[in-house]
Amino acid sequence: MNTILKLEHIQKYYGNKGNVTKAIKDISFSVEAGEFLGIMGASGSGKTTLLNCISTIDTVSAGHIFLEGTDVTEIKPKSLARFRRENLGFVFQDFNLLDTLTVSENIALALTINKTPAAHVEPRILDMAKKLNISDILSKYPYQVSGGQKQRCACARALINNPRLLLADEPTGALDSHSSQMLLSTIQSINEQLGATILMVTHDVFTASYAGRILFLKDGEIFMELRKGSDSRNAFFDKILNVLTMIGGGQSHVC
Amino acid sequence: MYAKLVFRNAKRSVKDYLVYIVTMTICVTLFYSFLSISSSYYNPDIGSAYDFTLLSDGMKMAVCMITLLLLFLIRFVNHYMLRRKQKEFAVQSIMGMEQRTIGRLFFAETLIMGIISILTGIFLGVFCSQFITAMLLTTYGKSYQLSWTLFPDTVLLTVSFFMLSFLIVGLRNTRTIQKTKIIDMLSADRENEPELEKNRWIFVAAILFELFTVWAFITGITKVLFYYDSRFALPVQLMYFGNILFPAVTLVWSVLWVFRKKKWGFQKLLCGLLSCSVLNSLTAASVPALTNRYYLPLGNGMLRQYLLFVLMNLLFFICAFIYLASYSIVTWKDKSPEHRYKEENLFFFGQILSKLQTTSKTMTLICTTLVLAIFLFIAAPILTGWASGYLDIHSMYDVQIFTKYNNVYDEKELPQDDYETITDFLNEHDIETAYDCTFNLYLPRKKDFSRRIKYDFPIVAISLSDYNTLREMLGYEQISLGESEFTTQWKPIAAEEELNVFLKENITAETDAGILTLSSKSHYKEPIGETVYNSYTNVLYVFPDSICEKLLPVMRNRYITTTEKITYENALQLEKIFMAAYPEQAENKAAYGVRFSTLQMNSALAGNFILQASMIYGAVVLMVICLTVLSLQQLLDAGQYKYRFCVLRKLGVEETHIGKLILKQLGVWFGLPIVVAVTVAAVVTGYFTQTISAEISAYIGSTTLFIQIGITIGILAILLICYFLSTWILFRRSVHL
Repeated sequence: MNTILKLEHIQKYYGNKGNVTKAIKDISFSVEAGEFLGIMGASGSGKTTLLNCISTIDTVSAGHIFLEGTDVTEIKPKSLARFRRENLGFVFQDFNLLDTLTVSENIALALTINKTPAAHVEPRILDMAKKLNISDILSKYPYQVSGGQKQRCACARALINNPRLLLADEPTGALDSHSSQMLLSTIQSINEQLGATILMVTHDVFTASYAGRILFLKDGEIFMELRKGSDSRNAFFDKILNVLTMIGGGQSHVC
Repeated sequence: MYAKLVFRNAKRSVKDYLVYIVTMTICVTLFYSFLSISSSYYNPDIGSAYDFTLLSDGMKMAVCMITLLLLFLIRFVNHYMLRRKQKEFAVQSIMGMEQRTIGRLFFAETLIMGIISILTGIFLGVFCSQFITAMLLTTYGKSYQLSWTLFPDTVLLTVSFFMLSFLIVGLRNTRTIQKTKIIDMLSADRENEPELEKNRWIFVAAILFELFTVWAFITGITKVLFYYDSRFALPVQLMYFGNILFPAVTLVWSVLWVFRKKKWGFQKLLCGLLSCSVLNSLTAASVPALTNRYYLPLGNGMLRQYLLFVLMNLLFFICAFIYLASYSIVTWKDKSPEHRYKEENLFFFGQILSKLQTTSKTMTLICTTLVLAIFLFIAAPILTGWASGYLDIHSMYDVQIFTKYNNVYDEKELPQDDYETITDFLNEHDIETAYDCTFNLYLPRKKDFSRRIKYDFPIVAISLSDYNTLREMLGYEQISLGESEFTTQWKPIAAEEELNVFLKENITAETDAGILTLSSKSHYKEPIGETVYNSYTNVLYVFPDSICEKLLPVMRNRYITTTEKITYENALQLEKIFMAAYPEQAENKAAYGVRFSTLQMNSALAGNFILQASMIYGAVVLMVICLTVLSLQQLLDAGQYKYRFCVLRKLGVEETHIGKLILKQLGVWFGLPIVVAVTVAAVVTGYFTQTISAEISAYIGSTTLFIQIGITIGILAILLICYFLSTWILFRRSVHL
């Protein structure tokens, strides 16, 4: 398998000389193509900082991030936006859909920003909508559909450009358990059937149990790595729980 | 503690309050500077021949009326500030501060900002009032010097007016804050746009328009029934039938639509009505123009009624146009995938449409107000120029006594008087006369005495010696005529074309004393006053004295110029005496009239100044209101926009593209109402100047007019650019933060 994402000794500091906060001390890992990686950790463990660094929204203090061989940390600020829209897909906790546009237009926006020829736009949207089961809400506005549907629309928008890497930041954070389950099965099927590489940040054990591999962060370092392997999801769920208990404060995540 | 909080808040949020302070300062400046004219301490040197109280009362009235509009603006800006600070209020109240206290804190903050703007406003107002004094003294034909004085009564009035309005608006705000729920405050800047509802007002507008069309249709038919004559010129015939045809087409279209409602949709009806409104206003507008040109009889109040029709059609045009603009963007978006799916266009469409549909009412209102403002701006110099030009021509002599024989049917009853009462009065008051000329105006042919149809009045003649005396009084060169020659004297308002045609057709003049031929110098156009011409004529014959002796004198005038100007009091008294001796409708039915330049100057100049000042003040106020509302509407939603642009950024749109999108959005938002308003205003102004083109060329001169219009457009453009730039900067700031 080829490596899509490779992080080498990433460090991220905040503050000035006298008062430095190390958000990420030293993190190295790599993601294979088609992998579904979860990143877990308590608040302040550096999850979001890490995601921001990978997504080029934030810059690293030291270290390198390679996406398919390209050093992300070396890209000029001017070309960053272009790099982002061509290689990365995002799913956010609060959907980030535009309420002035319909669901289908929201998806189309991602395509048009990438300068897709007009004739190709609609067929691709219909195709993607079918896969994510949102064909019947395409002409509705975001405020007319449910949270789960909104997040699936956001997924469609993130995937429509066939990104190298799909970054999901607490995708189920704003959803109820039923919608979460539906969304996660969708994400899983995207991963399995479309072969999309997914990197998902979460602190929810149930959500994390859908991933194939999980990295646990603590105080800006990788504390532990857990692989699903041939385990069932339930068994994997228990394992994650055990790790969290070990890190401390895990019980609060159970419910 | 709270006081500290207030001052710190105020200091920190000065940038947020910038819009507020600037708007308020403009309001105070305008108010102070225009009101300073009416101050009792204000004593400009305009000479003893003028009475100033006439002006200041009128001025006070005008300023106060227009200022009512400012109240609306103050309320709007306050509302904007309130919306902007909602989130802050929410945090404060979650922390446990009573909402009443929050309200008071906000009130104190706005009051501080208000006081700052009152102080700056008065300071700037002192500057601006200099400008207005300059305008005033120029009106009265005096030179002016700058003087820096603060008028206590105006300051007091300004401070109390604005303090009172701040107080009222502030109390309302406090109440609003007390009543708002915390949850609503929290989500104020993230709340979704209200569902894109159907606009009810456009239906109401359409129904009102239909009713007006029915009225216009009926009026058109009655006009044809009562006044139509097949001998009318072609344009007049077109006008008569157009005023029936186009309203009829409008109505037929609506009826057709009712039958095909489902298939056509409301927009199609509106499209039809829009084009009809253009045609309707064209034909309705042709009524006053053609009536002036062809002297058409249409009955009383008809002109006003047709102007009302024009106005209604224009209003409806603006309503429908703005409504259809948003609709056509929707159709354009739906029908052309190439444009829709081109880069960030989808986002742009979304931004514009959501705004247009929810605020097309505001847009229409802004558009209409802008039209009014632009029109006022342009019409002010035209009207005042007209009035003062007219005044110059009218009041060429210090005393003008004139007569009309329109109601005299017996030759014995024609006026023969020498108006000795005037001579007595002048002697009594030691008023020296420089020139004094009593003269007759003669009918070339006696049989024309009975010609009394409005457009068939005969041209009267003046004897050469009297004509030369008048020319001498006015400082013009003397003229001479051959034995049996005549020449003509024209009103300045007469068109060149009319003059040429007349001279071509009248190479000879038939008189009771023989036939005269036109002199080689065939016409004179220097203004010599409006009362030497017969009713409804623009021309006067000048005959040799020997001829005139044999003709019938029908009018007897007396013109006097004095060495010193007659004072205002004397003029008033003299007018009274004259009116008692020679009533306007005398028993023998000859009508007498007297004009004193002093009195004419006084009322005309004061009226003129009030007219000009209040029109300009009104125009500036309306303009400021429109532009402020336009820019605040955009800034008001900056919270939502920040979120939306943030999403775009996350999706990987470059900053340069975002900058372009912002520019595009503001361009449409400012451009649409301004383009519509400028177009409509240009048409209205063009029509207006066309209708009074004769007066303009006679009293103002087209070069002066173009310079004035150019200056006006320049000022408007500068105002617009200032507003656009500041909105743009603030908008970018709020989107980037």
